Amino acid sequence: MKRYDAIIVGGGHNGLTCAAYLARAGRKVLVLERRERVGGAAVSEEVFPGFRFSVFSYVVSLLRPEIIRELELPRHGLQILPLESTLTPLPNGDYFAQWSDHDQNRRELARHSQRDAEAYDEFGLLLHRMARAIKPLLGVAPPDPTSLDPRELWDLWRLGRYFRELPEKDLYALWKLLTMSAADYLDEWFDGEALKGTKSASGIIGTMLGPRSPGTAYVLLHHYMGELDGVFRAWGFARGGNGSVSAAIAAAAQAHGAEIRTQAPVAKVLVSGGRASGVVLENGEELYGPAIVSGADPRRTFLGLVGEGQLPDDFVASIKRYKFRGSSAKVNLALAEPPRFTCLPEPGPHLRGAFSISPSVDYLEHAYDDAKYGEISRRPYMDIIMPSMLDPSMAPPGKHVMSIFVQYAPYHLNGGWNDARREELGNTVVSTLAEYAPNLPNAILHRQVITPADIERIVGLSEGNIFQGELSLQQMFFLRPAPAWARYRTPIRGLFQCGSGTHPGGGVMGAAGRNAAMAILEGRA
Amino acid sequence: MSDVVVLGAGADALVAAHLLARAGHRVTVVGEQPASRITDGWVPALLAREVGASVLEERPDPWLRAPLAAGGVLELSRDVVRSAESLRRISPRDAERWPRFAERMAALARLLEGLYVEPPPSLVDLRFALRVRRLGREAMEDLMRLLSMPAAELLDDWFESDALKGALATFAVRGLQQGPRSAGTAFLLLHHHVGNPAGVFRPPRTDLLSQLAARQSITLQDAPVSRIAVKAGRVTEVVLERGPGLRADTVLSTLHPQRTLAELVEPGWLDPELLRALRHIRGRGVAITMEIELDRAPDFPTLTLAPSLNYVERAYDDVKYRRHSAQPWLDVFVQGKRAEVHCQYMPEKEQPAAGTVTGMLAPYLPRITNARMLAHVGQPHQAELALDQALWMRPLPELSRYRTPIDGLWLGGPAMHPGIPGLCGYNCARQILRKA
Repeated sequence: MKRYDAIIVGGGHNGLTCAAYLARAGRKVLVLERRERVGGAAVSEEVFPGFRFSVFSYVVSLLRPEIIRELELPRHGLQILPLESTLTPLPNGDYFAQWSDHDQNRRELARHSQRDAEAYDEFGLLLHRMARAIKPLLGVAPPDPTSLDPRELWDLWRLGRYFRELPEKDLYALWKLLTMSAADYLDEWFDGEALKGTKSASGIIGTMLGPRSPGTAYVLLHHYMGELDGVFRAWGFARGGNGSVSAAIAAAAQAHGAEIRTQAPVAKVLVSGGRASGVVLENGEELYGPAIVSGADPRRTFLGLVGEGQLPDDFVASIKRYKFRGSSAKVNLALAEPPRFTCLPEPGPHLRGAFSISPSVDYLEHAYDDAKYGEISRRPYMDIIMPSMLDPSMAPPGKHVMSIFVQYAPYHLNGGWNDARREELGNTVVSTLAEYAPNLPNAILHRQVITPADIERIVGLSEGNIFQGELSLQQMFFLRPAPAWARYRTPIRGLFQCGSGTHPGGGVMGAAGRNAAMAILEGRA
Repeated sequence: MSDVVVLGAGADALVAAHLLARAGHRVTVVGEQPASRITDGWVPALLAREVGASVLEERPDPWLRAPLAAGGVLELSRDVVRSAESLRRISPRDAERWPRFAERMAALARLLEGLYVEPPPSLVDLRFALRVRRLGREAMEDLMRLLSMPAAELLDDWFESDALKGALATFAVRGLQQGPRSAGTAFLLLHHHVGNPAGVFRPPRTDLLSQLAARQSITLQDAPVSRIAVKAGRVTEVVLERGPGLRADTVLSTLHPQRTLAELVEPGWLDPELLRALRHIRGRGVAITMEIELDRAPDFPTLTLAPSLNYVERAYDDVKYRRHSAQPWLDVFVQGKRAEVHCQYMPEKEQPAAGTVTGMLAPYLPRITNARMLAHVGQPHQAELALDQALWMRPLPELSRYRTPIDGLWLGGPAMHPGIPGLCGYNCARQILRKA
């Protein structure tokens, strides 16, 4: 019987990050992954012969720069290629584009609205300032404001001091961002419907909220928080797909001595006397260690692996009301040729960027209305990239892969998900897209449709929520995933959490994994 | 003794005027008398005492009466036990939970009551932080979650009955262009609970305004204001459209902050950033009031038609696209053979047919003999009571303490904290007296 210092349940990018940091500090670490490959929702798979896909998550932006640096991820094979534009085709045959080149971007804004062109830079500056104010919070374990523990009080005091030192104006601006809807917030700045639609779309990703729902403005910040190679606001694509991110972190962990076992599903966390002592695999094998770290989401961890009986009632109640409500789906297409948009039919630099089907705020809000009452959006919001344009190895020569993020496809669908509804979703996506790129339907060689129910089944994310639980205000910071238990520890001594279900949440950031490792190493968690 | 001019003649204006007059200032109130003399909202005993009024409160009991789809009614009363009994007929589980819910919400309302009779705390106020900590862990966790929550989630956490959740949700969205699934609406439910006993979420109606308006101790002038004169950064005079101007050391305006600062004050005194922020205060009107006459007085004081959360949410969906609700939710307040009907959601400048509303009401009321749509109520709080316009954000962080960048010019209208008629003026007047 082998003993480890720490056993990590789940080899998603956060579990791997946590393992890498623990191993780097000299701990003997074992990672247990249920599937045949590591990565969780950050995996690349050859779904159809010759066509490789980032099956679930598909872009990189929020991955913490300190993780890239400290784990030397480029040395372990991570290479990020920038996505330089976003094209929003419009129903009237025109388009709205955002370019990374400042002048080109300004000209495009002015083509739609002079006022927007003038407001855009000031808006960007404000959001950068807010993002800078928020950023240090991503790397801390949120102190519990109700705690009487002197160490937490000390952290609370430091946090209070941090906020008091910010200009008061910025604090209020931040509160506004946290409490407003993306639509109302953008209305204060801009006129252009396509601009507002496309920008507010970032506020609804992964949530069961519409752009007019308060709380969605905050996520606008994420676009100004992304940091790749120290450059703000860059969205990128990992060469080889998002699986390369996981592979690089796994390689770093292994280089520091961590052991990774795939096809090793954990059935149960062993608890005795309020203390976690090990895990039991589904095949009955028992493994022991003083620290068990779960990268699974809070529901799976506590109601599944641990079991209600081992936990205090009020904690179980908190975990039970923690909201998932997955709302996103994914459609992956193998294409014989690139799409020819009615608005920009010729091949051009726009094909190397993202396409966003978000012509207006009303369009997105209508999409939400359908989902609110349990239906697939009749005209969904889509965020699309063509990895093969950036990395030709993703598809056979001359062919392409297209990755389509779709919202809303509610997990709680009226009547439930089945094969027919999955096909219906795929058809809706293709026909909506065909309105803007008529050649698309005939260019499709293969199609993979992934519903929230599929995400839950394949990756193990409850209700298919891509962030391991909604990133709404009442589930953030010291409330994530439950009040008083936001510091990566749990009511079971020796059991920790390191997934996106903890602060600061999802988005292939790795921050939760790193913070959890720090908390375990400091021995204060 | 100095000259004070109060702009506006609503509850806030009169409370402020009397408070300042009692402190020895010469006070003139300039403004049109509001059409309705009824004030909706909590009048703290402290306020009544300080303006020397004995306010009559109208608190209907049962305060909520909702017809059930399967026949019968749900009645929520002041008496928590009686409410639970009424609930037991539709859901034993909800009946069992009601007293606990009432108690938990009341604990939070008591905190707000303390915050409402003074200027809002600042976001980094240590004393506020300590006061919140003193609530204890459970109430503190409730507060943190509840502040940012959609009412629908709060109600789903506690209850299963559609009738109960739908009817309660109306108090979470009343006057607000949001649906019960929007974040921040749990706060509004709590806001309406303030000043009420546990388990009551309908604000009382009072005669505060008519009592104060009947007094002779202050000068009332009904004249349109043309501007507020400012010299060297200080107010000097309120200039009227007709007649001589009014000299003023202090001007307390209960008009909309945008009107006060951007229109009445000469341009140039204010920072362009503040002017821009003023333009963005959201104050959309979402309701219409209708007056109906009945052939006999019903034997109940209120009636709420909002059968489920989805019903209220669907009513809201229409207004998002600038249409009035095909199926609005309705709240009837009975006064003898007359009744006032609150219909939401109705965007401004849109008038639904009175027949739609009376048709919806007919099965539940005595025969309606006459119905009259009143003018659109507009935004009763000037600034919507959304989370980004409440407490320290109300109406804008830089104006939240009733002062303006112009010396001697104060804001004390409904757009100010806490957004309860009378209390905004009260807090503002007390700030003026403190500075004097």
